[in-house]
Amino acid sequence: MYGWIWRHLPGNTWVRALISIVLVLAVVYVLFQYVFPWAEPLLPFGDVTVDGKNGSNTS
Amino acid sequence: MSVGSVRLVVRTFSELCITAGALIVLFVVYVLFWTGVQADGASAGQIDTLERQWAQRSLAPAPAPAVTGATGQGTEPTGPAYEDGKPFAVMYVPRFGRKWDWPVLEGTGTGTLKKGLGHYAGTARLGETGNFAVAGHRRTYGDPFKDFPELRRGDAVVVNDGTTWFTYRIEKKPYLTVPSDVGVVDPVPRKAGFDGPGRYLTLTTCDPEWGSSHRLIVWAHLDATQPVGKGRPTALEG
Repeated sequence: MYGWIWRHLPGNTWVRALISIVLVLAVVYVLFQYVFPWAEPLLPFGDVTVDGKNGSNTS
Repeated sequence: MSVGSVRLVVRTFSELCITAGALIVLFVVYVLFWTGVQADGASAGQIDTLERQWAQRSLAPAPAPAVTGATGQGTEPTGPAYEDGKPFAVMYVPRFGRKWDWPVLEGTGTGTLKKGLGHYAGTARLGETGNFAVAGHRRTYGDPFKDFPELRRGDAVVVNDGTTWFTYRIEKKPYLTVPSDVGVVDPVPRKAGFDGPGRYLTLTTCDPEWGSSHRLIVWAHLDATQPVGKGRPTALEG
C-alpha cells in the first residue's frame, strides 16, 4: 500500500519524501479537523448532564 | 498462491495494522490534548466577548439591578434573556485553583459545552429564587470539573454576570447519582437537604472521570451578592 504510493509519486527521492510529508500532514489535518470532532461525541466523555438519556450525548 | 502474492497480502495487512495503530494514537492525542487546547482558546474567547459586552454596557447609562441580601425575599434580578449558546457569566471556584475561571453559556448542547460550562435551559437565572443549574466536562475540553470530588461543604462558587458578584456556598460534598436522576436540578433539590424555596445552585458532571455511567452533583445556596463596582468578593481573596 505505502510502497505503491511511493512508486507512484513523481520526482526523485527527495521530492517524493517532501510530497509524502505534505500528504501525511494533510491526512492529520483532515483527521483533527473533521474526523475526530465527529467521532469524539460517540465516546462517553461528554455526558455530563442529568437528562435521563443514558449514553447519548444529546443533552 | 504464489510466494509473491502471499507476501503482498501479509505486507498489506501489516500496513493496515500500523495505520490503525497510528490512527488510535492520534485520536488519543486529540482527545487528551487537542480538545484542551481548543477549549482554552474557546473559553478565553467567550470571556473576552463577555468583558467587551460588559464594558460597552457600563458606558451606556443602564440602571443597575436592585441587589438584595443573601437568601431572603426581595426583587428578582432581571436582565436580558439568556441566549442559547451565548455566554452570560463567568464562574470562579477557588477550590479548583486561583486561575480557574470558566464562562457560563446558556444551554447544555454538545457544542456549547466545548466552549465552557452550560446552564441548564429552563432552570433559574443567576441569583434567582430556584435552582441555577450548570453542567461541565469532567475530562476533555479543558477538564473544567476535573477536581470535582474535592469540593467540600462551605467552598465558594462565585459567579459574575457583569453587574453582580454572586457567592454561593456549597452545601455538602459531591453526591453520586445516575444520569436519569433529573430531580437534582429541581427548583428545590430535596436531596441536598433544602426544604423550601431559596436561591440555589447545582453543578453536574460525569463520573467516573472517563465514563458516563454516573453523575456527580454538588449543591450550593446563595450566600452573598455584591455589585461589581465594589470589587471582587472576599471569597476570591487569600
